[in-house]
Amino acid sequence: MKIAVLNNCAPFVFGGAEHLASALTQKLREYGHESVLVRIPFQWNPPDKILESMLACQMMRVPNVDRVIPIKFPVYLIPHEDKILWLVHQFRQAYDFWGTPFQHIPDTPEGHRLRDVIIQTDNRHLAGVRQIYTNSHVTSDRLRHFNGLSSTVLYPPLEDVSRFACRDYGDFIFCASRINQTKRQHLLVEAMRYVRSDVRLILAGKPEDSEDLSRIRALIAKHGLERRVVLIPEFITEERKVELFADALACAYIPYDEDSYGYVTLEAYQARKPVITCTDSGGITILVKDGQTGYVTEPDPIALATAFDAVGEHRARARALGEAGYALVQELGITWDTVIAKLTA
Amino acid sequence: MKILLATTILPFAKGGATLLTNWLEKALRSHGHEVDVLHLPFSPDPHDLLEQTLALRLLDLGEQADRLITMRPPSYVLRHPQKVVWFIHHHRGLYDWWGTPYQALPDTPEGHGLRNAVIRSDNQSLQEARALFVNSHVMADRLSQFNQLSSEVLYPPVWAPERFHNEAYDDYLLYVSRMVNHKRQHLAVEALAYTKTPVRLVFAGPAEQPEYLAEMQALAERQGTKDRIRFLTRWISEDEKVSLIARCLAVVYIPLDEDSYGFPTLEAHHAEKAIITTTDAGGVRELVFDGQNGDVCEPSPEALAEAMDRLYEDRQRAKQMGQAGRERLSTLQICWDHVVERLLA
Repeated sequence: MKIAVLNNCAPFVFGGAEHLASALTQKLREYGHESVLVRIPFQWNPPDKILESMLACQMMRVPNVDRVIPIKFPVYLIPHEDKILWLVHQFRQAYDFWGTPFQHIPDTPEGHRLRDVIIQTDNRHLAGVRQIYTNSHVTSDRLRHFNGLSSTVLYPPLEDVSRFACRDYGDFIFCASRINQTKRQHLLVEAMRYVRSDVRLILAGKPEDSEDLSRIRALIAKHGLERRVVLIPEFITEERKVELFADALACAYIPYDEDSYGYVTLEAYQARKPVITCTDSGGITILVKDGQTGYVTEPDPIALATAFDAVGEHRARARALGEAGYALVQELGITWDTVIAKLTA
Repeated sequence: MKILLATTILPFAKGGATLLTNWLEKALRSHGHEVDVLHLPFSPDPHDLLEQTLALRLLDLGEQADRLITMRPPSYVLRHPQKVVWFIHHHRGLYDWWGTPYQALPDTPEGHGLRNAVIRSDNQSLQEARALFVNSHVMADRLSQFNQLSSEVLYPPVWAPERFHNEAYDDYLLYVSRMVNHKRQHLAVEALAYTKTPVRLVFAGPAEQPEYLAEMQALAERQGTKDRIRFLTRWISEDEKVSLIARCLAVVYIPLDEDSYGFPTLEAHHAEKAIITTTDAGGVRELVFDGQNGDVCEPSPEALAEAMDRLYEDRQRAKQMGQAGRERLSTLQICWDHVVERLLA
């Protein structure tokens, strides 16, 4: 099939679903389709630009393709008779951010009208597409709640599964994530005070600001954990991350209330390592089954230490949990085989 | 500088404009600039022309780019304070083909209204540019005639011209181009029936119009020249093209009234090959001069046959004319350094 993947963009600003869009475009080709990635500039500041962008999208055409796969507002308004959404998010400012400090749209009669237009347009257009997939149950729930539309969750897989592998179940718990308050590495460090086994903790990631760095350093020093906690306070290369996952005993990922499970979880399971997370970590708990593919603990240092020891004292257990995690990923269809089959059906 | 390149595309169609945009991106990067590229889908249906043009007009490109360079029409309607236009061609069906059998819209009030709207839109958006470049004198004349605008000729170079080289002057004439009637491969086939030498023809290019190819093959059959013609009906790789050019006797390029000289003409120059063209080929005549670096014939099979025979019989002349073309090229500044310098001035 000839397929166009549609995404927004802000020239020179990369991030937010760009990775997913280009991964999908690439994978479609690997599976024998012809694909092109279409990026349409979208600015939402000031708010009056939003209507213009919506109008622009509705006046565009995508000729010579059999299907379009849009992933966001407003490019899902671009007309085509065969449209399958893989929805990453709508314009949240009109929906779950409305009534919060992130609303962005002004609380004026005009702002309210703009919000109404966005909601009405979404309701009308999205009802007419061939199929709606979303990237998470959170996105699906919002679509159901605000627009009364049903959708199917289609989890985004790891782009390159071949890189991650298991070499050993070593002596360290590995946390690969940028270092800030929300990711809560400080809790992991605190946990190391109570650990009885010989496990260490390796934290790798760029601190969000210098405060985050000094805070975590101070915490390690305060409790004399310099030998037990290795801090790599920078953005590590893919190669290095692959190496660390290959030898880790387990992965720890305990952010506060995240939307989705995070690629880190998939990377850990691809390397056959269990994942330790917390009850309030949000989307990650979809992929971590307590006692089966890892541990889901209360967000406190002692509970976390217990989980660390559970694998620290029994390496074989780590292997069993990690293998089960990998199997869960396949079972849930978080694979490109599943994604491509669904999107090109 | 941060440079945003923008062009319209027909998804999955390859052509001169897509090549030029990709090469310009590479050239700008090799000069140390940051580049982002927008490939905006655009349907060729004249009835959707105004709506799609308005859509482009409404897009907001943000503030990151220091400069916008637009390529294929009507990408020049995009708004940016530092817009530079490299004008490739008009929508010919509304311009120089108006009043001919190829005009794009009917002679009704609606057709005229639409045409006028497009011309007005072109005039306005081209005037906004800080600099207006064209790819040939043919185009410069048309911009002056139809839009009352003056422009600077900026000849498009090929990428990595050092790839093209001469190895030998064998027995075949080479015509690399999509096989479609305005490229007039059929004229070369007809000419072969009038030749007295055993000179051969090689055509390389996708058969965009299968009936056209079928007709030519039938003609060759009837003429008894089938064994002297090779039809390579696909988009050949750059490497294949380089090899074919290296050993050809000369290059044939005989399109009807083309906008610019065409990459095949330039490639022939780099490979030190003479060019057979016609008096009505259009932009090709900005580079090819009769008796100097090629033969400019009447567009008749007999005249073309004469030129073909002369080259076959006098290899020395073929070589001399090829070399003359190459030498002249160095005086013309058709290179990426010059292009980048002019576009960013």
